[in-house]
Amino acid sequence: MSAGPSPDGRYVRVPAASRRDRPVPGREALLLGALAFGLMMLAIQLWLLTVALELYLAGDGERVWGLAVGSGCVFVGGLIAVWLLSRRPRIGA
Amino acid sequence: MTEARERAAARPHDRDERWRSDFPYDWEADASVSRRDLLRLAVITSGALFAGTLLLSLLGRRDDRRRGSPRAIPGAAALPAGEALYFKYPGEDDQAVLLNIEGTGFVAYSQKCTHLSCSVYYRAEKGELICPCHDGKFDPRTGEPTAGPPQRRLPRITLEQRGGELFAIEEAP
Ligand code: FES
Repeated sequence: MSAGPSPDGRYVRVPAASRRDRPVPGREALLLGALAFGLMMLAIQLWLLTVALELYLAGDGERVWGLAVGSGCVFVGGLIAVWLLSRRPRIGA
Repeated sequence: MTEARERAAARPHDRDERWRSDFPYDWEADASVSRRDLLRLAVITSGALFAGTLLLSLLGRRDDRRRGSPRAIPGAAALPAGEALYFKYPGEDDQAVLLNIEGTGFVAYSQKCTHLSCSVYYRAEKGELICPCHDGKFDPRTGEPTAGPPQRRLPRITLEQRGGELFAIEEAP
């Protein structure tokens, strides 16, 4: 089906590309799981940032780098997860 | 059924149709796309949080948070044990307190409370540094908070005895 309004002009058709982007059955659950885990990791990162700020204000700035490494690991993990999830599995291959 | 009643019965359906034509949308596609977009947004937020932590770690490595240059504290030599002397350091608008603690000797702190910057003072009869704003208390020996809302120790001023005079050297957080 091509993009653009339907013949009666009342509905907008979704472009073919975004229909292709729709996850295959079973992947939705994976995506949802990744999202839930990712949000949990975000909460941990936020906590790391508040501890870092606390240490910085207390003059213990030298100890903050360990927290930055932890936060960086979560970020890189998130990038890898997005990359893995954006690859489409070959079905029936 | 009268004609008016028939029209009334048909109205909710009409409204629904009008709403659909005003806001046309493919809901099926929306569900899957928004989850993916949310995941991307989460990764961007994660990057921002990482950048903030990294920035703090870089700032923490810099040494420019120490302030002040050596300056004599007038009247410090005559301060009896168990008493406090208030002076200006590192700038003329910065208040500081010098304590002569029995058994420990001289210690000095900025008077700025680490909670919301009220002036901390020394209560000799209780041997405590007190912040009157929210009843914060600090240990006079270490400057660490002991009660109330403050979570961080008071900025400490390093001291040095030079030829019979007490000098404030610098203030560190
Ligand atoms: S400002 Fe000192 S306790 Fe709140």
